[in-house]
Amino acid sequence: MASIGIDRVSRSFGAVRAVDDISITIADGEFFTLLGPSGCGKTTLLRMVAGFAELESGEVRFGARRIDTLPPHKRNTGMVFQNYAIFPNLTVGGNVAYGLKARGVARSEIDARVLSALRLVQLEGYDARWPHQLSGGQLQRVAIARALVIEPEVLLLDEPLSNLDAQLRVEMRGEIRELQKTLGITAIYVTHDQEEALSISDRVAVMRGGRLEQIGAPKELYRRPATPFVAAFLGTTNLLDGMVAGQQGQGTVVRLGTSAFVVPKLAAAEGAAVTFSLRPEALRPLAAGDAAPEGFATIAAELTRLEFLGALTRIEARLGNGMLLRAAFLDMPLDRMAAGDAIVFAYDPERIIVFGSSPA
Amino acid sequence: MTSLAAPRMRFPLTVAVVALAFLAVFFLYPLSRIFSASFLDPSGVHLTLRNYAKILGSGFYQGSVINSLGIGAAATLVTTALAVPLAVAVARLPVAGKSALLSLVVLPLVLPSFVSAYALVLMLGRAGFVGQWLRDLGVPFTSIYGPGGIVAVYALTLYPYVLLPTLAGLKAIDVSVEEASQNLGASRWRAFWTVSLPLVIPSVLAGALLVFIETLENFGVPFVLAEDKPILAVEAFKLFVGETDQNPASAGVLGVLLVTLTALVLLIQRRYLGRRRFATGARRSPPVLAVRGGLRFAATLYCWTLVLASLLPFAAVVVLAFMKFRGPVLQGSFSLDNFTDLFSRSARPLGNTLMLSTIAALAAAAIGVPVGYAVTRFRSSLTTVLDVVATMPFAVAGTVLGIGLIIAFNGGFLVLTGGWLIMVLAYVVRKLPFSVRAASSILHQIDPSLEEASINLGVSPLMTFLRLTVPLMLGGIVGGMVLTFVTVSSELSSTVVLYSGQWQTLTVVMFQALEGTGAGTAVAAASLLVLITLVPLALVHRLLRRHEMSLL
Repeated sequence: MASIGIDRVSRSFGAVRAVDDISITIADGEFFTLLGPSGCGKTTLLRMVAGFAELESGEVRFGARRIDTLPPHKRNTGMVFQNYAIFPNLTVGGNVAYGLKARGVARSEIDARVLSALRLVQLEGYDARWPHQLSGGQLQRVAIARALVIEPEVLLLDEPLSNLDAQLRVEMRGEIRELQKTLGITAIYVTHDQEEALSISDRVAVMRGGRLEQIGAPKELYRRPATPFVAAFLGTTNLLDGMVAGQQGQGTVVRLGTSAFVVPKLAAAEGAAVTFSLRPEALRPLAAGDAAPEGFATIAAELTRLEFLGALTRIEARLGNGMLLRAAFLDMPLDRMAAGDAIVFAYDPERIIVFGSSPA
Repeated sequence: MTSLAAPRMRFPLTVAVVALAFLAVFFLYPLSRIFSASFLDPSGVHLTLRNYAKILGSGFYQGSVINSLGIGAAATLVTTALAVPLAVAVARLPVAGKSALLSLVVLPLVLPSFVSAYALVLMLGRAGFVGQWLRDLGVPFTSIYGPGGIVAVYALTLYPYVLLPTLAGLKAIDVSVEEASQNLGASRWRAFWTVSLPLVIPSVLAGALLVFIETLENFGVPFVLAEDKPILAVEAFKLFVGETDQNPASAGVLGVLLVTLTALVLLIQRRYLGRRRFATGARRSPPVLAVRGGLRFAATLYCWTLVLASLLPFAAVVVLAFMKFRGPVLQGSFSLDNFTDLFSRSARPLGNTLMLSTIAALAAAAIGVPVGYAVTRFRSSLTTVLDVVATMPFAVAGTVLGIGLIIAFNGGFLVLTGGWLIMVLAYVVRKLPFSVRAASSILHQIDPSLEEASINLGVSPLMTFLRLTVPLMLGGIVGGMVLTFVTVSSELSSTVVLYSGQWQTLTVVMFQALEGTGAGTAVAAASLLVLITLVPLALVHRLLRRHEMSLL
């Protein structure tokens, strides 16, 4: 077990800066996720830690020990691959024992450790099976057992659930998280699935174009995104551009054409351009004649689209300047409404995140 | 830290350095000796262009260049014209007995083409019994010798070079492409002509250029059939071993011409392949068309006629081996005389063939598999160089490589002439491109993350290669070794230059019998060659199928 220090690492492929001067410190026992769209450099960064991608500059340390100068087979990391990478020529037991044999562990101890590793992933009694006899979920468990049995200093997971179907994916991510907590092992997890990242991690690093956008706990990233990219990548949001039009009570008024929003108080001068994010679930429809709750502001729009998704209903409404506003509701209160109707939303100005201008 | 110095690159870089050293000594150095021989005057010290002036000024040798290119071009056209309809029929029409057809269709690639040529001579040549019958029946039949006969043999033995890539190309087209074309209003027929066929043109051309290279390099077929028409690969050999007038300078000039021509064609082929590949990533190949009886019958007839015609000469040789010959003339009765004749002289040629082929197959795999691994799995400037150099032997005719090896290792720091090792070295160099290609094609079917998983678990790259990759590749490696074995056993061109004394092989026996009049011994040796080719292939037939091994 060890903390992981990634210190100013970079790597280019041709003209592309795949990983661009990234520094991250991961605490001992932390579940840390690298999240981003494909091509953002998250897998390259993980492979740098494993030793399968070379660093052009920077250092990687486990605890105080520098490891980026070691060949990959001497780093003592346990890696779980996207396609499982189960050796087809070995049985389940042979796969799990593979790393122990490489370490010269005694025969009797190998047997005992393979058994307990298979028990850990709920595959007791499967050691004599062949990989082609197993399902995707079972192969994934073998891959995890094989990575854990060598008692690695860190566990590296490269999109391990992306080949599973949706339901199994949710189940397995819970199991992986439980296992990691029980063993107290430091883990780096790579994914492009924001929901997976939010549900499983202690902390998440959002990456884009080889650079870090933001590091933080899931709630912090979702509630206080540092950039429009993070706000849009995690969940759905309305990213709106407007101009500061003056102060009003506790907030600042931002005008978008004929519509105006109240945002948390800004120091910006009148006329300054700002971008802000307002989550769809922060908008509440007001029934005709109802007043907005205390401290809430309102915005009027024309309903343009209503999408019924069972428990959830999504709507799109057009603002006065033609921009579309997305909103989502549980337990749809708008049963009577249809496209073309006028609608008024109430929202708490504190739920708005403003970018590109410092708050007062 | 540069990627070259990275620890995980040590193993592939070691492989690359060792393999490049091997190729430098036993391939590039001999080639350079041919080049320098062609540019040196008789004193061996001064540079001169006189050798070139002499050869290029001679009508005879000009003729050899023109004949080689002309026959090559004609053979390429005929071969392509025969093979493309065959590919289309096999891929898209309900041809009867398709699975058997697909097994038989690759055989001409491994059976020795000069045996086919010799069989045609026996049947249709001056003393040929079929030719005699035809003349008796009043059919005007002149001669099998000359360009016509050579082109015919090339077409019948080289058509798989076009057929196999075209077939693979047709299968790599996803059905959705044709469906899209039909959806836009094209008929099935129009969809095929306007969409599918253009998509396989690169595969057809790639195969056609390989045919062209093979015809330029081939020694045995023109040696049997050209009579007095000069052909580059044959004339280089004659100039070098000429009994009265050994002439390495002039042989060098012809060798340089031949290598330049084949290397040019190979370059064009690689460029073309590299730039245009229309794989649409087939999830589902287009369906076999349901056609009516007439067309189905015609397609079946065409496919089977072509394939059987290509195999008939080999079958004829095996049958003729059990018949009596008096000199070159066939007698009408069965006997084992030919084999007793062959073995009464010596059983060594058979033993030599088996032994040299086995050693060459083992050595080609021992070098080719690590090289294939290094060039497939690790991209660096050194492995790219290795990839190019390891492909180059394909562009060098066997006679030319043989001559180069003799000039290089007849004296000086390493003397190899007169032994068996120099023959094996020639075979290994010549088969290396195939062995590397076979290894990479197997590796493309093994996910690289398997190796990374092994390394991640603490096994070094070298041990991962030996303990994981090689076992995973084993079926393919064995298949590749068998292919090397059978093609080396019928290797004629470098063998006739390099063999000496006791190291005669079956191909040499045939070669000598061709020069003399011992047709009986020749057919016996030829039929043994056919057997040595077919028996191992039959044994590993399933293995080759399972690993989808290509013979190209």
